[in-house]
Amino acid sequence: MSAFAGRKLTLGSALILVLTGLFVIAFLFPYVYLVMTSLKPPSEVISSSPTLFPSVFTFDNFRKMFEVLPIGKYFGNSFFTAIFSTIISVFLGSLAAYGLSRFSSRLGNLFLLLTLAVRMVPLISVAIPMYRIINQLGIYDTKLALILVYTSINIPFVIWMMIGFFDGLPKELDESARVDGCSRFGAFMRIILPISLPGLATTSIFSYMLSWNDFLMALMMTSTSAKTLPVGLSEFLTAYNLDLGPMTAAAVTFSFPVMVFSFLIQRYIVSGMTMGAVKE
Amino acid sequence: MTKSDRRTALLFFSPAAVFMLLFFVYPMFLLIRDSLFDSKSGMQFVGAENYSRALTSDRFYQSLYNTVVFVLGAVTLELVIGLILALLLSTGFKGNHFVRTLFLSPLMIAPLVCGLIWKFMLNDQFGILNSLLYRAGLIDSPQSILWLSDSKYALLSCMLADVWLTTPFMMLILLAGIQGISGSLYEAAHIDGAGRSQRFWHITLPSLRPVIVVAVLIRMIDAARSFDIIWVLTQGGPGFSSSVLSTMIYNTMARYNQTGYSSALAVLFMIALLSVCGFFMMRLWNPNKKAA
Repeated sequence: MSAFAGRKLTLGSALILVLTGLFVIAFLFPYVYLVMTSLKPPSEVISSSPTLFPSVFTFDNFRKMFEVLPIGKYFGNSFFTAIFSTIISVFLGSLAAYGLSRFSSRLGNLFLLLTLAVRMVPLISVAIPMYRIINQLGIYDTKLALILVYTSINIPFVIWMMIGFFDGLPKELDESARVDGCSRFGAFMRIILPISLPGLATTSIFSYMLSWNDFLMALMMTSTSAKTLPVGLSEFLTAYNLDLGPMTAAAVTFSFPVMVFSFLIQRYIVSGMTMGAVKE
Repeated sequence: MTKSDRRTALLFFSPAAVFMLLFFVYPMFLLIRDSLFDSKSGMQFVGAENYSRALTSDRFYQSLYNTVVFVLGAVTLELVIGLILALLLSTGFKGNHFVRTLFLSPLMIAPLVCGLIWKFMLNDQFGILNSLLYRAGLIDSPQSILWLSDSKYALLSCMLADVWLTTPFMMLILLAGIQGISGSLYEAAHIDGAGRSQRFWHITLPSLRPVIVVAVLIRMIDAARSFDIIWVLTQGGPGFSSSVLSTMIYNTMARYNQTGYSSALAVLFMIALLSVCGFFMMRLWNPNKKAA
């Protein structure tokens, strides 16, 4: 139930609709404009009196983008590092969250406080020493480096998301599994994890997005072979030729699959976003 | 708790702990150590020299000031627009779920892509924003506002992009908060003859307070840390007009290769952010004080 529901179409509710419509247009415009621009003929992209719609729809920019940028490789790097860091961080993070949720100890509380503090540390501050560590390990510009970095950034986040889920599961579940002969770890793997699948899914999506959307870490830890798409995209700005057509095409290629996916699973996104921030 | 329980607990969280120690605690230690050395003269111990250099540098204060302006400006705008949107959607008009889904879309866009979009839209030659303003008769020529290369507008442009990207997050959190307010409160107020604005000021806003505090805190931390959008749009320029702490630290590190000085800046930034957060959490989030 909402605050002002149950009214007929009055002046007030007409105003609400008009206002909402204006906001929708304002917020959708930039992305729609990007997509439309990517479908324009390259010459129209840099017109001094820009239009929203292309005069003819063409995929020229998408074709050209492959010439300017090894986009397949960058896309692959982004995908590969995001997926592996998600798998590792969700597994290790859930394990830790379960341990912290079921057994309280002073060390555990300290650890929990640390994960909260991590959320407030500016990424640039961690990036500087991380860069040195990655260099010392001799894994600069490798996918492994990015996976390690993303995993460590994601773990605290996963712990905070999953602890809420595990706290909501009754302890009797674990106990009955143990009576049936499971070890602690077995109970976790066979009973707790499968039940937490909705939570795991939401957490994984966010964890994946964190790695997929990252720019700063990839900018610092890679140069050629492990470069991700955001870093590749950013080079359109420093290059002497401002190739705006292919730039818009690459930006659409990078973000469009995520947009479509997020539309399909928006229910989970809403629950994940509001988790923790809104409690009754 | 038995001893074996304690050991199992340790086993459960030790893999994650090892990761965090290696890639967070150790880096923090490195950062603090680095900040005490001069990286130019072959890692010579210089004590607090990097810090005193930072604290007497105009550029540092300029970046700090810009960061504060950016955070306060962007988060205030996000809160106001987010609240308006949440209130509009909470009226529950037909199709409000679909509209909510539409608003969710910017949330999934990478900050970098958001920067690119706005860089393109604010371009002074073929940007559509100036073109629209010109066609609406609000400015004299399509080139009259140099959004990104005029030091007056550079930081404002960055805020604009940030507001576009993250207002939907604010809206979502606030909307969830509004939907959590018990309907009986409104009914009672309605019977007592409270008008729409009275209900807003006396019921909606006070009930939303804790949600607003959390949402604003989350957004303030993220806005203060933000790097991608500002880097893509202006790289901190022109001059230092939109230089924030993140971009200043990155420039010091990547362009001028001053590890020691940039580490000192990073430590100062961290201390500033942690103390602001700590202050907020103590003052506003403390459940014991809520009763007072």
